[in-house]
Amino acid sequence: MPEISKMKKPDVKVVILGDMNVGKTSLLHRYTERKFRDTISTVGGAFYLKQWGPYNISIWDTAGREQFHGLGSMYCRGAAAVILTYDVTSWQSLAELEERFLSLTDTANHDCIYAIVGNKADLTDPRAQLPADPQSPAEGGEPGTGPRVPSACPTPPASPLSPGSPPQQVGREEAAALYGRVLRYKGLDEGSSLPADRMCFETSARTGYNVDLLFETLFDLVLPSILRKRTENQRSPTVDLEDYCEPPGRRRGCC
Amino acid sequence: MSVKAFELVPAVERDLLMGDKARINVECIECCGKHLYVGTNDCFIHHFLLEEVPSQKGGIKYSAQKLQQKYLGLKKPVAELRAASALERLIVLCDGVLFLVDMATLETVPSATGSGGAKIKGVTSFCMNGNPVNTDPFCVEIAVISSRRRTVQVYTVYEDRVQLVKEVTTAEQPSVVSLDGYFLCLALASQYMILNYTTGASQDLFPYNSEERRPIVKRIGREEFLLAAPGGLGMFANAEGVSQRAPVNWSESVIGAAVCFPYVVALDQDFISIHSMLDQQLKQSLAFRDGHILQDFEGKVVLASTKAVYVLVPLPLEQQIQDLLSGDRVEEALVLTEGAQPNIPRDRFQILHRRILQQAGFIQFGQLQFQEAQEYFRKGELDVRELISLYPLLLPPTSSFTRCHPPLHPFADLNHLAQGDLEKVLRCKRFLISYLGSVRGTEASRASREEVDTALLKLYAEQDHESLLDLLASDNTCLLADSSPWLEKHSKFFALGLLYRCNGQDSAALQLWIRVADGELQDSTRPDLYEYIVDFLTFCPNLDLVWRYSDWALKRDPKVGVQIFTKRSSGKDQSGQPMPDDVITYLEKHSPARLLYLEHLVLERRIKKEKFHSLLAVLYLEQVLSLLEGAPPPAPGQLSLARERLQALLRESNLYRVQLLLGKMEGCDQLLLERATLHGKLEDHGKALDILVHQLQDYSSAEAYCLWASSSSSQGAACRQQLLHLLLDMYLGGGAEERRGDLEMAAVDLLNRHGERFDAVRVLSVLPEGWSLQLLKPFLGRAVRTSVHASRTSRLALGLSRAENLQLLHDRLKERKKPILVSEKRGCHLCHNTFSCPDVVCLPGAVPVHTHCIAHRLSDSALNTHADSAPSKHVDSAPNKNSTQNSNHT
Repeated sequence: MPEISKMKKPDVKVVILGDMNVGKTSLLHRYTERKFRDTISTVGGAFYLKQWGPYNISIWDTAGREQFHGLGSMYCRGAAAVILTYDVTSWQSLAELEERFLSLTDTANHDCIYAIVGNKADLTDPRAQLPADPQSPAEGGEPGTGPRVPSACPTPPASPLSPGSPPQQVGREEAAALYGRVLRYKGLDEGSSLPADRMCFETSARTGYNVDLLFETLFDLVLPSILRKRTENQRSPTVDLEDYCEPPGRRRGCC
Repeated sequence: MSVKAFELVPAVERDLLMGDKARINVECIECCGKHLYVGTNDCFIHHFLLEEVPSQKGGIKYSAQKLQQKYLGLKKPVAELRAASALERLIVLCDGVLFLVDMATLETVPSATGSGGAKIKGVTSFCMNGNPVNTDPFCVEIAVISSRRRTVQVYTVYEDRVQLVKEVTTAEQPSVVSLDGYFLCLALASQYMILNYTTGASQDLFPYNSEERRPIVKRIGREEFLLAAPGGLGMFANAEGVSQRAPVNWSESVIGAAVCFPYVVALDQDFISIHSMLDQQLKQSLAFRDGHILQDFEGKVVLASTKAVYVLVPLPLEQQIQDLLSGDRVEEALVLTEGAQPNIPRDRFQILHRRILQQAGFIQFGQLQFQEAQEYFRKGELDVRELISLYPLLLPPTSSFTRCHPPLHPFADLNHLAQGDLEKVLRCKRFLISYLGSVRGTEASRASREEVDTALLKLYAEQDHESLLDLLASDNTCLLADSSPWLEKHSKFFALGLLYRCNGQDSAALQLWIRVADGELQDSTRPDLYEYIVDFLTFCPNLDLVWRYSDWALKRDPKVGVQIFTKRSSGKDQSGQPMPDDVITYLEKHSPARLLYLEHLVLERRIKKEKFHSLLAVLYLEQVLSLLEGAPPPAPGQLSLARERLQALLRESNLYRVQLLLGKMEGCDQLLLERATLHGKLEDHGKALDILVHQLQDYSSAEAYCLWASSSSSQGAACRQQLLHLLLDMYLGGGAEERRGDLEMAAVDLLNRHGERFDAVRVLSVLPEGWSLQLLKPFLGRAVRTSVHASRTSRLALGLSRAENLQLLHDRLKERKKPILVSEKRGCHLCHNTFSCPDVVCLPGAVPVHTHCIAHRLSDSALNTHADSAPSKHVDSAPNKNSTQNSNHT
């Protein structure tokens, strides 16, 4: 029950950013609830606390709508990882990441790690169409299961639109290129940062394809950040009233 | 929605405030303890005493008593009021001027003499520090937004003066301020920001157009603020500029907001919305016309329309939770409960939490969501009897259990819950089975073990569940008195027997089982119940029971029944076992069983007791005799089988009384073989062989007899030879003329078969002259072979012995290869004279003697003794010069 865990203090923060309708909430929902369901547009933001080993990781799901754009930097403040999400069928959604969302991450930790995630891969990649999790197959009976309509995002007219499979607008190379630009924007050295092929994912919240891989890869990568934060806290100047150590007893002399 | 979390209670009615003056409006309020101050647009401060009184409906009402009102004389609205109770001052903002009035008299406090005074001019808004940094209790800190420049000033307010602490400038004109410690949270024209007024460090929060929409900055706790955000959100931000809670989605035109944990209360123009901070959901919405002010004072949320003041009274948490539960909103109820944990004392929370979990469990149970129900029951540590008591008749009448009050659920019992749906009842029962199975034996159900076990037993019996027997076979605390009618009702007599056993009533169990086995009662649990009873008696340590009920078992099937005695543990511990003599006496009436028991004793356990052996032999004999005399001729195999058994016993046992059996066999010509055996037992071999050779003419038996009779003798080979010679003599000694040829042939066969066992010399001397060599060739061949073999074997043995002896000698010498001291001071052991020359002989034991002494001694002993051991002694003690070593150390 996530409700109880809300009482706990998160150790580290992961933020999901991306344009509206790319499937941020669905990704989080697939990961936490193991199922896909139609979600409504997120208002403001929401968060979920994940117990990962001995640590609590808070995952912030943000609103992609322009209206809430200003709040993004609040959520990103102190984030240890940012998931930049786009829709593989929408070139525009990838472009938006760079134009609108990248600047929000200015408030994130200096050692924050970035993942570029192309969601809705089931629309373009046959591998992503198989349910990743045999225990919870993709829901069959819900509306929109039949021929799935690709993203409502504007599609450049040049795209060849075959009737069978929707066109993949964004290739892996483009995502990798964006990853490189993100690193440059952050002033990070590409050689010493995590390589693009590890940090670019194509996922499907509908089938669960690569979803666990995405989150769990990130959790493992943010662990050093937690440890660093903990050691910093130990050196905190705040006096911890509960953590009182009796000084070694000294015998009091008479007179 | 539809949680009733708050109730809107009128506090000060319109007529008490302004009567019928239409143009007077409430501008600001302040509540401090029971004192309510209301500032109006006509520059009055009204002072009320607000008393809580319980209302008839169980809630509370407020009765307001007007203490006084004061005109401040500025003809402008009173913009803001804040109480500093420690100073007994009200901080008033009116007409851009901030000043102090006495809380009790509402008189303006005159400025202290000297600098500054108690007035600040050009103020648009101010706030008090909820987390003061100054340790002096007789001052308060305030932050002031100045109307002229883009500045915020921090003052310390004393009883009669104010003191500027710090002034900071901002990039834009601030409109709202909130202060916590050193942190100013400001709404600027285009954004919110956090500003540390000592360090000057600032943190932009997020953009917000303060001109378009009214900004809200509300301190809700230590270093945490609630802010109105674009898109109708209530955002949380802490002093570091981080949002630690998900935002709530209130409305675009919120006028005021406050937190009354775990709810965010927001005032809009026409309604109050209440969101939970725990799940961000809208929980309640109250209509409220002309909403104007919403503020919380020490946890009390006070609202004002333009004309009247209200208090938003939170309903008790329990009641809210119960409301949620009664709407079957289990999850929300639990979220609320758990969210309230920090605000409730630990022990009280635990009780509450457990109860809510239990109720939640029953709600899920009522919806047949058993998995969830079980989880809640487990977490809520439900007294399992609460659940059992739902099922009619499952709780024993002796149980002291009474249902929890107030009840955890609305169900009278299972029938009430299921409304006659048998399928539902069945599912509930199955759930209870699995649930009880899971709690059984855990610490939680310790106190109610009897109830749990008894209920399980009843359910198993009713559902014909296979685990019924497992339950009874294991350690259990089923109540016998309550369970037995139930088991009888469901014809579980076998199980009932087991239950009797568990309660130490083995006798009752046996009686019951016997009735089932006899078909008196019907229970098909165990088709092999008879065997089970036998088995039970076999391992029953209570001999009384064994004596009492074995009779029944033996009557029914002696062969199986006798297992009661034969299969009893024959281990070391014989203390609790019946004595064989007693058993035999007991079995008098059941002769087949007695025979089997004796066979068990004699043949299997090999008990060496004359009585048993004799009795068994007699019984065998009687059996044979009765078969021989039997009027209807017995089945062909039967007699030979009986005789074989008799013969085998007669042959193998040495303990029975031979004379007794011989006497019994007297006059029975058919049992010659047996008689021969008996004679053999008496070592009366002549008689035995006579019977075999002359009466039975059974030569192979005679031969076998010789081998058998000699095998038990201590001097086997010699005895055998003797017996074989006896037989040979009998063959050769002849008999009737017509049989002479037969006997001779038997003799030849005997010789040829056992050639090596005869004393050949003796045989040759008795053989008739006329027998051909050819006839005896195998015998002779064997005899010669045997003789040669024996000779060679003995020579070989001799040689080996010698070699061994030599080896031993060698070993011994090696062992004792130590210097032997010979000196002039030592004497010879034989003559006791000292040695004069180094030539000595060493005796075994490293004893040096004179050479002449040993020579003398040897010649003596050669003369005196010729005993068997002499030669070996010679070898042994032969003087060995090699071993002597001369040493004249001294």
